[in-house]
Amino acid sequence: MTRSVWWRRFFVRGVFWRQGLRFAVLNVPPWTEPIVMAFWSTFFLVWGPGRRGVMRNLKVIKPGSLAIANLFRCYRVFWNYAWTIADNVRFKELRTIPDWEFTGREYFEDMQTRQGAILLTAHMGSYDLGAHLFSETSTRRIVMVRAPEADPQTREFEEHHGVDSLRIEFNTRATELALDLLETIREGGIVAIQGDRVTGSISSLPATLFGKPTTVPAGPFALALAARVPIYPVFVVRLGRRRYRLMTSRPIEITRSRNRDDDFARAVEQWMAELERVVQECWFQWFTFEPYWPEPAR
Amino acid sequence: MMLNVVIDRPDARRLPSRHRFAVARLIGYILLGRARSAVERPEHLILSIDRDQTAVEMHLTAFWAFATTACYIAASLPFALPLSIVLSVPLAAAAIHLPIVLGGSILRAFIGDGNHIKIVSVITMALLLIASSYVATTRSWARFVAWLFFAILLLNSVAAVILWLLRGSVQSAEERCVR
Repeated sequence: MTRSVWWRRFFVRGVFWRQGLRFAVLNVPPWTEPIVMAFWSTFFLVWGPGRRGVMRNLKVIKPGSLAIANLFRCYRVFWNYAWTIADNVRFKELRTIPDWEFTGREYFEDMQTRQGAILLTAHMGSYDLGAHLFSETSTRRIVMVRAPEADPQTREFEEHHGVDSLRIEFNTRATELALDLLETIREGGIVAIQGDRVTGSISSLPATLFGKPTTVPAGPFALALAARVPIYPVFVVRLGRRRYRLMTSRPIEITRSRNRDDDFARAVEQWMAELERVVQECWFQWFTFEPYWPEPAR
Repeated sequence: MMLNVVIDRPDARRLPSRHRFAVARLIGYILLGRARSAVERPEHLILSIDRDQTAVEMHLTAFWAFATTACYIAASLPFALPLSIVLSVPLAAAAIHLPIVLGGSILRAFIGDGNHIKIVSVITMALLLIASSYVATTRSWARFVAWLFFAILLLNSVAAVILWLLRGSVQSAEERCVR
């Protein structure tokens, strides 16, 4: 093992922290958990790029906010993140499920009764836990599409400690994946995709969030158009200790017209309105640690 | 997968089975079935039946364990009290990690990888008990904290006895709630 590889495990996205989290889930008594969470949330505030990324995003979500106030808000984001990733690992390792509340239940049930659908979500709350639970309780087959872990050891660790019932696909092999997902939908399955940020070189669509230009993945919209199924915006929001709310919104229907760009623009606009509403309400659970909006050129 | 859950019963939040310590279980039992109309009713609700489910109980216990540890550390530091209190906060946070990290690692080495929460929990509480027994006999101001620690343990023991005496009615109240 080379020196650089040895160090890599301690990087913020390195496997050491995943192993540590699993160790904690298997060893921390629940009655000391809040202390452990508070300690590690404070520790990770030292992670400069993550902290600055969250604070920059908060500045846009809460215009005119003070840097010191955003530092405390940033702590709240880290605190919520710590609890949500712990709940996710706890479910995988110990099968402990949190309490669930549902809003927009009629849309959620409609999605389950349909022959194929797309579930569009964001990096909010415990999207992983929601997908895992959904996959184990639903009669529908669910395929989750996500960006792969940047660190190879972390990726291997996550694959080894995953839940068998949930199929996870990575968005790196675009063309073959699109065909696989189309097949899944046509067979009546549900494809869950995170649609709030573009990672790597995947194709994107222009959008506006909080009045600022950005881009969102084009995949879910193209897939919905090809498969002729609606997109259901679903958010999993953490309400408190081991307590979550699954919020399903009115489905986004992509109607075909002569101008495909206009079809996409209408769908993206509806998705961004939904995302903005939820992020505005639950900014403390939008786990976007990189600056979401590019810095304007000076 | 079998899930131990209650569906669409908001009052089941107070089930004694969702609490860890006897005092909390007894309070849950007393509150169970009371003021049903005041309970928030979401569209659809799935409540997990797990002894470590309630937030208030776990946060209060964590605060109590942390404050007790911090007081013992502050009393043992050779500095002025305000400085000792400030220093005791990070030291207490680190001290609470010790039985988890050391105990967990040793258990992993001897028993193997797996769920060691119960044993680590017993070790941590035993260490707090030993520390409290020592501090309670000293002349330090922290002895009052140690006495409070024992008072809470006593209260929990009394609640455990009451719950044992009421075990039949607690069980039927739980069954009525989840039916």
